[in-house]
Amino acid sequence: MEFLSYLSPMFFTLIAAGALIGVIFGAIPGMTATMAVAVCLPLTYALDLTNGLALLLGLYVGGISGGMVPAVLLNIPGTPSSITTTFDGYPMAKKGEGERALKISIVASLFGGLFSAGVLFYFAPVLADFAIKFSYVEKFLIIFLALTVIASLTKNMLMGIFSGVLGVWLSLIGTYEITDGGNGETRLMFDFMEYYLVAGFSLLPVLIGIFGITTILQDAEKGFKGDAGSPTIKLTKGSRFSLSVFKGQLVNLVRSSSIGTFVGMLPGVGGSAASVLAYTQEKNFSHDSSQMGKGAPQGLVASESSNNALTGGALVPLLSLGIPGDSTTAILIGAFTLQGIQVGPLFIGDNLDTWYIMIAALVVANFLMFGIMFFAIKYIAKVIEVPKHLLYPIIVMMCVVGAYAINYGIMFDVWTLLIFGVFGYIATKVGIELVPLIIGFILGGSAEVYFVKSLESYGNLTIFFTKSPIAVLLWVLIVLSLVFAIFLKVRARKQENLVSSN
Amino acid sequence: MESQFLSLFEVSIAFEESHLFFPRIVSWVLVGLLAIILLSKSNRIAPALRRAGQAVTQGGDGFDRKRFFGTILLIVIYFYMMAVVGDIFPNTGFGFLFVSIPFIFLLSMLYVEHSTRKNILIIAVTAAIAPTLAWYVLSQLFRITLP
Amino acid sequence: MKVMKTHLRKLVCAVAIAGTAGASMSSFAADCPIPGNLRVVIGSTSTGGDTYQNSSIVADHLAKKLDINAKVDAVGAMAGFRALDRSRNGNTVMIFHDQAYLGNLYGVKGYDNIFEKYTVGPTVAINPGNAYLVPKDSPYQNIDEVIAAAGEGEEIRVAIQPGGVSEIGFSALKNAVKVEHPGMEDNVVAVNTGSQADKNQLLFDDMADVINGSVQANEQYTRLPADDQKAMRFVWLTARNDTIKQTNEEGMGKTSREDLLQYVNPNVTVPQSESQNFTFDKEFFFLYNKDMNPEIVSCIDNALEEIYAQGDIQEQQKKSFFIPNFKPSSEAQAYLKDKRDQYKTIIENIK
Repeated sequence: MEFLSYLSPMFFTLIAAGALIGVIFGAIPGMTATMAVAVCLPLTYALDLTNGLALLLGLYVGGISGGMVPAVLLNIPGTPSSITTTFDGYPMAKKGEGERALKISIVASLFGGLFSAGVLFYFAPVLADFAIKFSYVEKFLIIFLALTVIASLTKNMLMGIFSGVLGVWLSLIGTYEITDGGNGETRLMFDFMEYYLVAGFSLLPVLIGIFGITTILQDAEKGFKGDAGSPTIKLTKGSRFSLSVFKGQLVNLVRSSSIGTFVGMLPGVGGSAASVLAYTQEKNFSHDSSQMGKGAPQGLVASESSNNALTGGALVPLLSLGIPGDSTTAILIGAFTLQGIQVGPLFIGDNLDTWYIMIAALVVANFLMFGIMFFAIKYIAKVIEVPKHLLYPIIVMMCVVGAYAINYGIMFDVWTLLIFGVFGYIATKVGIELVPLIIGFILGGSAEVYFVKSLESYGNLTIFFTKSPIAVLLWVLIVLSLVFAIFLKVRARKQENLVSSN
Repeated sequence: MESQFLSLFEVSIAFEESHLFFPRIVSWVLVGLLAIILLSKSNRIAPALRRAGQAVTQGGDGFDRKRFFGTILLIVIYFYMMAVVGDIFPNTGFGFLFVSIPFIFLLSMLYVEHSTRKNILIIAVTAAIAPTLAWYVLSQLFRITLP
Repeated sequence: MKVMKTHLRKLVCAVAIAGTAGASMSSFAADCPIPGNLRVVIGSTSTGGDTYQNSSIVADHLAKKLDINAKVDAVGAMAGFRALDRSRNGNTVMIFHDQAYLGNLYGVKGYDNIFEKYTVGPTVAINPGNAYLVPKDSPYQNIDEVIAAAGEGEEIRVAIQPGGVSEIGFSALKNAVKVEHPGMEDNVVAVNTGSQADKNQLLFDDMADVINGSVQANEQYTRLPADDQKAMRFVWLTARNDTIKQTNEEGMGKTSREDLLQYVNPNVTVPQSESQNFTFDKEFFFLYNKDMNPEIVSCIDNALEEIYAQGDIQEQQKKSFFIPNFKPSSEAQAYLKDKRDQYKTIIENIK
């Protein structure tokens, strides 16, 4: 227990500072946890390893959690993994339960974060050995599974699937990157577009364009009168938060946190898949999912516990294979190297003290994030009482900052905001569903790489079924999720008919 | 027999062409789905287009042309001018700062329902403070690159 | 529009002068036309990788020396080249490595000839870690056996990232087979993949016999017990013997400098031609816009010269497993051009 001597007041202060800055970054639409960690990395040069890690892990946990704030209050996901938080969070905010929705999300986040920290602590090496059983084929199937769950999120099955495929198609525009093992050629564009589109559309500008700018255009069209007019949302009405919401949610919490941890563990699959998978699993398997999408706490619980569980999950391959699980942990590698610490399969054994410190920092960061958010939420939630004529211009400005900064200063990313804002506006008019579209967009790139690489390696389509028992299991899940989606659609239609015939 | 069956599913991808393999599949699926959608909804397309055209050209239907097109126009000018001004003061973030202030002011003025003196004052103060604060914290404290 | 632009420029200039007039200049910077806010773009999009780390070390020292602000932006190769194209006044410079010309040699879209399109600036450091590994239970004990096996008709699958630094070692290997066993070089086949994680995975899945990796990322895998599926073994470091000799004595992890030297020339021979052995050092260097004021070029050269004379930067670089390697612009240009020409011959030879 020698490591306890490292836990100075400075250690806790830095975690708190990290969590606070992280929450703020996550809460601003367009700013992400990755960005928070990246901009604060130089600060750690002046700190020793323990304190540097304290700050960075605080930022990481805070950044991931902060994404729930704009998702609930403004219907704009602060980070890609909080898309599913908007489904139930925003309807609740509209009913005047913004504060309650945020509090539910925070508790769920805390659970997810602690759950994954526990899994990391007890099972990291075992899980790492399991994770390397996932080759191209299995990774493709995981992504395919996440794509098929789109079916249960759609309003109209045909349009929903079309939207999802369109999202995949849009994500393929650009270069087949050599850094993914591609051949560096561009596709799906005309020659004159190459100058701008060589890197394709970036995820974050697309996301905030489609959610942020589109919403603003829709309200502008209505002229800010009536429903769209300034403050109609009151914070105080609706029911208040109490822990009893979580009664009967234990299965949901554990399931969603497990999905989050596991998906976080697989490098290259992308954290956003976690919350989508967790949300749809809850929708498919819970007793009563009829309210999901209309403001059901269980949706928030699934989404937020899974996306915070990503943190511990993404650290598994980092600490037991030396491979980052997501873009944020990739920056952590830089922090380790700067301190002269090498990551790899022997990291934990070689650096036991550092390992304990990281777990302690992760646990503390989750509690401090909880403390900061739970008590600040009352004030943060006031954002929605700001009149829209003041709020919207500022949102546009912050979206610009986020879009420009995400790739360290590329102007085309800012134009992407507008392109997809207008596109999202038109798309909703013709019945394209934005959520399946954006999920398709997020997963499209890795789906391509793993699909093409599987075939390049094995040269036969049957490999997707015969590669391993894991592949077979994933097919079972894919089929199940499709069956459930259809079953739920049919049941919903029957109920509708029943209601209308009465 | 079995090997024959397996060879049905054989695929070989030339590396030089591999960038087109997956996009082609997705494009065909997309076209197929589009065709199904258009066929199943063909009778509803024409009237919808006519309604949309009317709303855009003549307003009505609750379509606020001034605010809608004003928003798009302002955003276009905003993005364009930000790069132009940013080029005059490279690597300082001034392009963002100097252009955001008038943009926020104008967009707020476009959206506000009652332009009373008090409202205009609040808008002016917000337009000055918000970008300055964002610029100072992000560009100066965190050294994030801004236009 | 034009009139409006100039008016605007005047107006905004007036505002800005008030803001910047207060900034002081050191004696060094006084006769240096370098802008007060320098943007350093790099050819990688990762802020955790070697390019970013090395560039931020160099940029920090440069900023201190010249009393300016310097900010490293990980925009990636394409966006980096474009930012450089636009910046004639030297507000943006680029730091990149051999990928800059190797991409061009391999014909990757978007990579132009840097020696024609840009001004090549000083080199600053080497990453000596470029390595090739086999599974610990591989039948091949060293790279000679790999070459011999290919010469006897065995297929050798090498996992690499195509089109650059990761591929050049593969090309050299193929070329070596051609030199020693003419006609058998097609037995060395590339398995094109992306990140280090993907390359490792191919080895675990037995879909590759040899992978490209690095001392930094793979050293711990070489220390795993042989019965671990993840265990690997170094067979070849592409760096020059001299380069490895300059690393700190402790080497990396538990693999000392002495151990590392086993895997380089002359203990390992990968013939480039009848008379010469192949080596590859991944070197980091500056790239400038062609129209940039030559005074800025010499200014950065001089500043770096002084920085390297002081010696702090070397320690910092070595601590992060970089080998300090400063060459002023003119020397660097000639050196890199020669390096490029040698690799060009190899790549053309195996086409």
